[in-house]
Amino acid sequence: MATLTMQNVTKIFGRDVIAVKDFNLEVKEKEFLVLLGPSGCGKTTAMRMVAGLEEVTTGEIFIDDREVTELPPRKRNVSMIFQNYAVWPHMTVYDNIAFALKLKKLHKDEIDRRVKETAGMAKIEMLLERYPSQLSGGQQQRVAVARAIAVNPDIFLMDEPLSNLDAKLRVSMRTELKAIHDKAGSTTVFVTHDQSEAMSMADRIVIMKDGEVIQVGSPDDVYHRSGSIFVADFIGTPPTNFMDVKIQKESNGTHLVNTHLNLLLEPEMAKHLNGYDKNHIVLGIRPENIVLVGESDAALSASCLVSEPQGSHQVVAIQLDDNIVKVVAPPNPIIAPGTDVHLIFKQETLRFFDPDTTLAIND
Amino acid sequence: MTASTPAKRFRDLGSKAVPYLLIAPVVIYYFFFWFRPVLVTLIKSFQTAAGAFTLQNYHMVLTDPDFLVALRNTAIIVLFSVTLEFLGALFLALLINRKFTGSTFFLFVAMIPMALPGVAVAAMWLTGLTAHGWINSLLYYLGILAEGAKIYWLAGSEWKLLGLIILIDAWQVIPSMMIILLAGLQNIPEETIEAGYVFGGNFITVLRKITMPLLGPTIQTAVILRLISAIQIWLIIVLLVGFSRMPVLVERIVYYYKEVPNLDISLQMASGYAIVVSFIVSMVALLYLKVSGAFGGKKEAAQ
Repeated sequence: MATLTMQNVTKIFGRDVIAVKDFNLEVKEKEFLVLLGPSGCGKTTAMRMVAGLEEVTTGEIFIDDREVTELPPRKRNVSMIFQNYAVWPHMTVYDNIAFALKLKKLHKDEIDRRVKETAGMAKIEMLLERYPSQLSGGQQQRVAVARAIAVNPDIFLMDEPLSNLDAKLRVSMRTELKAIHDKAGSTTVFVTHDQSEAMSMADRIVIMKDGEVIQVGSPDDVYHRSGSIFVADFIGTPPTNFMDVKIQKESNGTHLVNTHLNLLLEPEMAKHLNGYDKNHIVLGIRPENIVLVGESDAALSASCLVSEPQGSHQVVAIQLDDNIVKVVAPPNPIIAPGTDVHLIFKQETLRFFDPDTTLAIND
Repeated sequence: MTASTPAKRFRDLGSKAVPYLLIAPVVIYYFFFWFRPVLVTLIKSFQTAAGAFTLQNYHMVLTDPDFLVALRNTAIIVLFSVTLEFLGALFLALLINRKFTGSTFFLFVAMIPMALPGVAVAAMWLTGLTAHGWINSLLYYLGILAEGAKIYWLAGSEWKLLGLIILIDAWQVIPSMMIILLAGLQNIPEETIEAGYVFGGNFITVLRKITMPLLGPTIQTAVILRLISAIQIWLIIVLLVGFSRMPVLVERIVYYYKEVPNLDISLQMASGYAIVVSFIVSMVALLYLKVSGAFGGKKEAAQ
């Protein structure tokens, strides 16, 4: 297994469509790294450059210390799982998996051994003589997985491999892919636009937007310490709630104020806002960090717009002016629309964002 | 059957008749303009001029000294021109499928020969290939030919002539074959090809082990269509060198039917040749389909 380094990689399509801009990344040995972002953010292009399917406009790519920027795909020793499986319909499952091994001119017995071993890992050992048209989508994706493991690559690339599967299968394949990754000990780059997929699988997440890296960090980092409004909004279902508030320093401490809210900050949080007195900032708070309380303790009161029961919890939506704030509350009792709800915020979880730069103030 | 009123029975009959009414125009058309002439030719091929049954016509065709020559010439043209056309068309289709800048314009240019009718193609090459034609002028202009020197393209051995005919035929036919192959190529998902490159293939191995097998059914269609029409080549030859200088199978039919229609044996020879050629075309098509595995089912159909 190996490390992957991308240095100042830029990809320009045609004359001026910048798909990936000055991309820098180091993937550690055995790491499971996820490139996450909305569609069109350049994450797939970045991965395809690693595979050699897309030419690099400027910059360098290294696998270990080996520069691969100009090498054709076959000389990079990477393997890839494609979104549409891309198994070869005219070959049996066995031949699909054996394709790369035959090209490497391995001995017949060695090929046979590795095909059977990887087919076992992907749980398709009983399908080896079938053709892909006789398999379900999930089984075809398993063939693609086995084919990718069999070559024993330096880097494993996965381009939204689960997005064509149905919702239930997708979640169970997640677990399996992760288990296969751990077992094979492979360095993996995984592309997805599904933040929950990213959160559940990644060692580290790279969040991209418009061809640029916005934030890199563990799932815990990007979720609890989102570096910008974009990340706070993109990660999490439901996403972070945002409110415009004004900072007011008074004799008893720093207050966050708007038409619905007057919140006295604890000194620990207030110290982040030195220099912002009398300015407006964007307050971000995750739905599960808003707590329903009795009327006397409330920092904020409003009426419930709608409640969505989820079994283990309910998501309560509250209208504040033009803004809908969502709260994750215990499942019982179900809150009826129109009921007044009283809320407090878990102060230590608050995120403050500069409205001009959209970046986080408290890091 | 439950009991039903006459009116209902009539309605049922009406709705059953609708599909037959809808296909009737085609059936009638085919009967008069396809089936009837074929049948007449078939009958004529077994009749003497007076109308009595005979096998003499076939005997005349098969012992005609021009028959073997025509068969040989046709075979050579078919073999070389279909091979050349397939390779040329595949090359162009692969090239255009890469979608480089200007590939759409290139596709447009490559299609031009397809838009020209056979007579126009022949006229164009005839004006080019005569001693004072534009090909010699072009060669002179490029400095390849000395002033006053000429190449007599249409004179000389029949091998040279065969070569020229094959080239002209290929020039005209490659675009239509390329279009079929290009359509087939565009139906292959790009990721399938890319996977070939990622898993160790170079251009040649991916072409041989992935692109070509996936293109198989398309190639089969393109080649069989071309094979059938290549056996029927005649117009371009007649327009370039006239009748009888380079006999081919269909040219013999036209020769007896149009060029010397008033001989005692003209109609017998023409209908005899027509049936023999039909038989050969059918056999070649059948053989090709058999060899290329179209009747197989040995392998799963791609996709």
